[in-house]
Amino acid sequence: MVVKLADNIISPLGVTTKENYEAVKAGRTALCQHEGVPGIPIPFFASLIDESVLTVEGDYTKFERMCIQSVASAIQQCDIDVASERVLFIVSTTKANVSMLGRSGCDNDRVLPGVAARKIAEYFSNRQMPLVVSNACISGVCAQIEALRALELGLCDYAVVVGADVQSPFIVTGFQSLKAVSAEACRPFDRDRKGLNLGEAAATVVYGREATADNRWQMVCGAVRNDANHISGPSRTGEGSYLALRSVLQHIDASEVAFVSAHGTATLYNDEMESIAVERAGLIDTPVGSLKGYYGHTMGAAGVLETLLSMYAVDDHTVLGTRGFENLGVSHPISVCAENRVTNRNSFIKLISGFGGCNAAAAFRKGGAR
Amino acid sequence: MEELILKLKNEIIEVLNLEDIKPEDIDENAPLFGEGLALDSIDALELIVLMEKNYGIKIKDPNEGKDIFKSVAVMAEYISKNRTK
Amino acid sequence: MSLVKHYVRINQLVGSRSLTASGVRNYRVTIDGKTLVETAPADTLLTELYKTHVGDYSKFYKMDPLCRVGFMASELLLTAEDCRQKQWGESRGVVLFNATSSLADDRNYQATIDDSETAFPSPSLFVYTLPNVLTGEIAIRNHYYGETNFVVLPEFDSNTMSAIIEMTFCDKYLQSLVTGWVDCYDETNYNVLMFIVERDVTGHSTELSQEIKILTEK
Repeated sequence: MVVKLADNIISPLGVTTKENYEAVKAGRTALCQHEGVPGIPIPFFASLIDESVLTVEGDYTKFERMCIQSVASAIQQCDIDVASERVLFIVSTTKANVSMLGRSGCDNDRVLPGVAARKIAEYFSNRQMPLVVSNACISGVCAQIEALRALELGLCDYAVVVGADVQSPFIVTGFQSLKAVSAEACRPFDRDRKGLNLGEAAATVVYGREATADNRWQMVCGAVRNDANHISGPSRTGEGSYLALRSVLQHIDASEVAFVSAHGTATLYNDEMESIAVERAGLIDTPVGSLKGYYGHTMGAAGVLETLLSMYAVDDHTVLGTRGFENLGVSHPISVCAENRVTNRNSFIKLISGFGGCNAAAAFRKGGAR
Repeated sequence: MEELILKLKNEIIEVLNLEDIKPEDIDENAPLFGEGLALDSIDALELIVLMEKNYGIKIKDPNEGKDIFKSVAVMAEYISKNRTK
Repeated sequence: MSLVKHYVRINQLVGSRSLTASGVRNYRVTIDGKTLVETAPADTLLTELYKTHVGDYSKFYKMDPLCRVGFMASELLLTAEDCRQKQWGESRGVVLFNATSSLADDRNYQATIDDSETAFPSPSLFVYTLPNVLTGEIAIRNHYYGETNFVVLPEFDSNTMSAIIEMTFCDKYLQSLVTGWVDCYDETNYNVLMFIVERDVTGHSTELSQEIKILTEK
């Protein structure tokens, strides 16, 4: 089976997963107002990493330094030779070094995500071909699904999955032009939600193959489905998210699921769509939560970051509260709560959706047995 | 007004990449969304940009757009009343 | 027995015919090895193909350069397959690869925000600044509900592509995949090898890699 061997999160809330988990459990948020940022005329609410916490030296961009530091921190926790040809690097990102794309056009090939990924892998002396999963907002879950498959098929012995994105005028003005951002802290699933906030983070998970899970986290399964509906608007029937959940629920029983860690971006249509999908999948009584009120939408990092915090939450018998939520504002009565709740279950489902009509769900279980 | 309507039709064709459509194909009184031109939510956002860029009209809430983009005639009427450039 | 069921190749001609007199790249289009377009300049090729072979999907004109070339390749590929009426549901997915991600549209969007004083960021350009929107466009057009994914690599590599294609069939619902390489540097500089593989590829990624390599060398 495929088990988690190590992890890390770097965000404004901390530089380890533990620091991040404790901050979130205590209800802290990294979201705040940013004004006067060059290239972004309209003020915006976001969670941004102060470069002073990044310690990697050398000719690396902020994106690369975040990835390298996160991976370095994770692999310190496990005894693997990351330079080995049996270690697969998977980078999950939507825009990587896009801020290198200036007026002068593209004079640095590191604006290409594959080239940046190679730079990151080579820092660790890994010469294998790195993969960049660029599947919009669901990249972080897709990248873990690719890791699971590569390990199950024996194509590698270890997979290092790192998700990250850096906010820049390119991304912020884009989301502003889509009228998808909230001018205040986001409110997932709330009736007064006004849109998303953007965030920065890097998150790493290292998976390996073991005969038994023992007391470790097992990645059970994952599925990716398309809405076949619209390139930017979520499906009105929650088709892709429902189909992904349905596939995952063939490998895990709803009765063992502590919670669904939803995408919960706090846009009108995303949260409504997820409530439909959760209801259709028969999970209406299962606690549902979103972590966007703590971090905003961290894009390429989101799928990894939210998976890791969910693991730490289950370890702590906790369903993390959905910060910003007050009154249910979706058409199906899903179980969302602003406060932390107690759980004794050992599994959870990560659900996520993105532009291009893509949706992913993955199930994780602590220990081998139910 | 007729001049503005024709100008607007040409601008809409350009910004929404309606290659197959000529100004005379657009009935200024027909609904812009929901039928005919097969426009979607992204087209509506692009029309919001057009309003600001060409006429200096800021539309903050996309819901406001729904009323303004009812038809080319309604748009033209709104522009002539509110334009700042 | 071939693992690649049908394939479309859109690539620049080599040698003396690689450019037009005015310096535009000349392309060739082949389907299952048969020539569809002997030679055509890059700037008009895709709209000509659209008018001749599709014609009734005006969304094409809204697409960015990557989606235009990828969408047209998929149209030609699926016409060759001749199963367009089939209800594929979750049994078909779309997984594509390239090295340039959405660079062509990224540059076009960047141009709308370059001067922040007078910037009017374009929402319709921004939505295409993700390469996987192409996989979405193909899924929407053909009502595919299966897995869609986009993987960016440092460079073309048939071994890695074949491995990921085989990995995708770990999804038991999946019966066939529209897949391949769709690279687009800008409006006049692109390179496509798109093909269909079925579940029988499982366990044969080495052979698939060989087939892909041969097709790109043709």
